[in-house]
This record gives sequence, C-alpha cells and structure tokens, in this order.
Amino acid sequence: MSTRTAWKQISVVGEASPRFITNLIEVLADSQINIETLDSDTVGGTGVALLTVDRYQDAIKALTLAGFPAVGEDALLVRVEDHPGALAELARRFDEAGIPLLSVRIVRRGEGWGVVALSTPRTEEAVALVENCLIGTS
Amino acid sequence: MGELKQTDHALSENDQARLDALYERLSTEREGFIGYPCTARFDYSPLYRFLEFSMNNVGDPFVESNYHLNTHDFEREVLAQFMDFTAAPTNQSWGYVTNGGTEGNMYGLFLARETLPEGIVYYSEDTHYSVNKILRCLHVRNIMIKSRPDGTMDLDDLRATLRIHRDVPPILFANIGTTMKGAIDDLAGMHEILSDLAIGRYYIHADAALHGMILPWVDRPQPWNFAAGIDSIAISGHKFIGAPFPCGIALAKKKNVERIGRSIDYIGSLDTTLSGSRSGLATLFLWYALRSVGREGFRERVATCLEMADYAIDRLEVVGRNPWRHENSPIVVFDRPPASITTRWQIATHDQIGHVITMPHVTKAHIDRLVADLAALELVEAHAS
Repeated sequence: MSTRTAWKQISVVGEASPRFITNLIEVLADSQINIETLDSDTVGGTGVALLTVDRYQDAIKALTLAGFPAVGEDALLVRVEDHPGALAELARRFDEAGIPLLSVRIVRRGEGWGVVALSTPRTEEAVALVENCLIGTS
Repeated sequence: MGELKQTDHALSENDQARLDALYERLSTEREGFIGYPCTARFDYSPLYRFLEFSMNNVGDPFVESNYHLNTHDFEREVLAQFMDFTAAPTNQSWGYVTNGGTEGNMYGLFLARETLPEGIVYYSEDTHYSVNKILRCLHVRNIMIKSRPDGTMDLDDLRATLRIHRDVPPILFANIGTTMKGAIDDLAGMHEILSDLAIGRYYIHADAALHGMILPWVDRPQPWNFAAGIDSIAISGHKFIGAPFPCGIALAKKKNVERIGRSIDYIGSLDTTLSGSRSGLATLFLWYALRSVGREGFRERVATCLEMADYAIDRLEVVGRNPWRHENSPIVVFDRPPASITTRWQIATHDQIGHVITMPHVTKAHIDRLVADLAALELVEAHAS
C-alpha cells in the first residue's frame, strides 16, 4: 500500500494479450523512460499493468498518446463483476463507511468483469475498504 | 504621433513563408477531412469587414452592458432560433453563445450542481472524454453507467444504480448523439425509470453537440429536447453549421439560471455566463449562417448528409467493413482500418471501430476514394500473405 504514495504508481489497462506488456514497454523505451517496477494482472479479458517509472508525467503522456488508457496514482483500480448496478453497490459501500467517493469510472469491461477507477480524497482508508477487489496489491 | 496600425509592422519574409505554408497545409488537409464532425466548407466572406472591431459579448446577452462593442442583439436572435429548434419553454428559457460544446456541457452541469448540490452525476461509458474533466473541475460526485454495444446508455444499469441511490437526487447526463457512434440516449426510458422509482428531484442535461442541429430537421426525431423533459442542452456551432473557430450554444431553464446570476459593477451586467469575455464574432457568424441558410436550407443539408451516410454504408459494405449507423445520424461506424488509412483520412478510432461522418462537405468522391484505399490495402495484404 505504501507504494502508492511513495513511488507514484501508474496503472495501464488494455486487452489481455501476449503483446500487451511488450507494446507497453516499447512505448516507454521509445520515450527513454525507465521502468522501475512492473507488475501485471488479468481481469476477465482485460490486462492490467502496474508500473513505477523514473519520469511519471512523461510516462502518462507517452502511454496516452500511444493509445494506452493510463490511470495515475490519484485513482484506485478495482475489479467488479459486470452486472447492472455493480458500481452503485461499490459506491454504497463507501457511503456506509463514511468515505467520500468522488468518481466511479469504468476503464474497461470484458468477459463478465469490469476494471473500475475510483477517486477519493481518503485513499488509504479506501484501500482498506476495497482490499478484496483491489487490483495490484498483494 | 499618428494612429497605430498593424500594417506599420510587417512580417519578415521567413514568417510570411510560414503563413503561406500553413495555408497550403490546411487546404490540403481539408480534402481528406471526413472523420470528424465539423463542416469544412462555408463562406463567411461578407462578414470579414467585422474583423476590424474588438467585439466582446461579455456578460449576460439579455442585459445591457457597458462594453458597447458587442453583438448582444444578434445573440438574442440566435438564441431565440435555437430555443425554437429545441422546443424550449417560451419566456422561461435562457442561454448564451459559448466557446464550444465543452463549455455548454460544463454550464449545464454547473447549473445542475447548483440546483442539486448533493446530487450525483450519472453518465454513460460512451460519453465524450471532456465530461470527466468537467466533473473533476466541478468536484461533483459521479458514477459511470454502462453503455450498450450500440453506444446508448444501458438503462438496466441506470435503473439498478438509481435504485441503490434513491436518496440522492440524480443528475443525468444524456448523450444526444455520442461522439463515436452517434447514439442517442433514451430520454423517455430515463423518465420512466425516474417515475417508477418515485424520484421527484432530478436534473437532465443533454449533450447535443452535433445532432442538436440535425434532429430539428428530420421527420422522425428521437426524443431529444426540452419537450422530452431536459433541463439544459449544449449544441456546437462549428460542427453542423460550420465556423472557422469553435463555438456553441448553451440553453437552460431560466429558473435554474436565476439561482446563480449575480451583478457585477465592472461591466455593468449580470454574471450568468461561465466565460467572462465572449466572442462577439462567433455570434455574428452563427446569425449569418442561420439567416442565410434558413430552415429549408438546413433541412436539405441534413437530408443530403443522411443520404450520403447511406451511400457510405453501401460502399463500405462492398469492401467488407461491416458499416452501420443510427437513425438520424451521419456517423457511419465500421471496422477499424489500419493506421495508414486513419491518418490519411483523419478517421477517429476507438477499440475496434472507426467512423466517417458525412458532414455537408463530404461527397461521393470522398467516400469512393476512401473505399478505393481500403480495397487497395486489402489487395496488398492478400498479396503479402
């Protein structure tokens, strides 16, 4: 959990395929950005890469321009089952816990699952609340 | 010391050459401009003489201002026409000429937030990317709703979501023509859900950037305007009408606007608009287009564009690109072409799709050339394999 504040993590979402991570690395290499850590996960048909780099802003820009939806450290990524009202149920959990949730955004959906970005000013408490579905923490 | 004129300061040869090169580039690029929802050909030359004035429509268009170099009287006429197109309630509506669709959407959501400060904004996956930015700026709570494959908001997801949050007034952001697929959200269905769940306090904003100047001119429009129960709407001026710069219209119910208006001494007007300084020229260009093209002119343009969209579907079908479009939309969606095609024809892409938009300047020749490029590419690929 401490990596979120200390290392400025970037999450990148795309189609789960063998080329996903390779393409990602190539984009960053072309921009001469060094990857410090790289972890990956699969949610349904969606691939999620979690990385830290030496040049955070440049990496976000390069990835976005290359067509990779990149989510910055101010959002938490969670996996959610794809059914009507799923995001509202998630938002309700925050309401009940008294943690303000500013936005709930679908990043990608596929094979019955969705990857969702949550934005809240109280990240640490939110991490604990969604620990069971958080992507990229072990 | 005489009057200072811009012509007293000439450009260097190098700078002049840069301008000439830019003109050449833009002229060339315009020929392949079929992937974005902007009309590429228009003639506002009768208005060029107005470029010598420092026009500024700062303040409320319905309130006299101390800044007299304005076109407020023309702006009121433009707004009156749009109020008519959108079936806005007579004498109960207000609006202004914006800097473009994003400002119109921000204005609508701003009014919504002021009207329902505790509200949550619901918007679909297919909503324009700028809405995320607006929500962040306004610091309003928001939940994304799933889209159906055709780009419309998934009303089952909306219903289930609203049911869970029945205690919080919803602010519904409805797409009247999504950017990629031209999908029009089902306003009647939204109202049915609100009624079923007995939700009495809500706000509906409509983003009708392109289709807001198409639906007034078709025989069977989907429900889209104030008659369908919206509270505010944003329509772009530079898209279907066409203009050399971005511009648009924001319209809203007067009762909600009065909530935020406050007097400012500096310009002697009411601070009801998001922008301070506003283009007086944009108003004039829109007025000119509305008056010169006229209702019948727009009706003919829309019919021609939709016929051209059908032509594009027929031709793209021949090269196996699985084209389709929504009713009353000139956005023709098809299988994503390779980068060489999207770059040449400035085709926007998303996931596995691309689109052409048959705006008034798009001809059969454009479509035929695109299809020829796609066919040639197929031949090359077949040969290579």
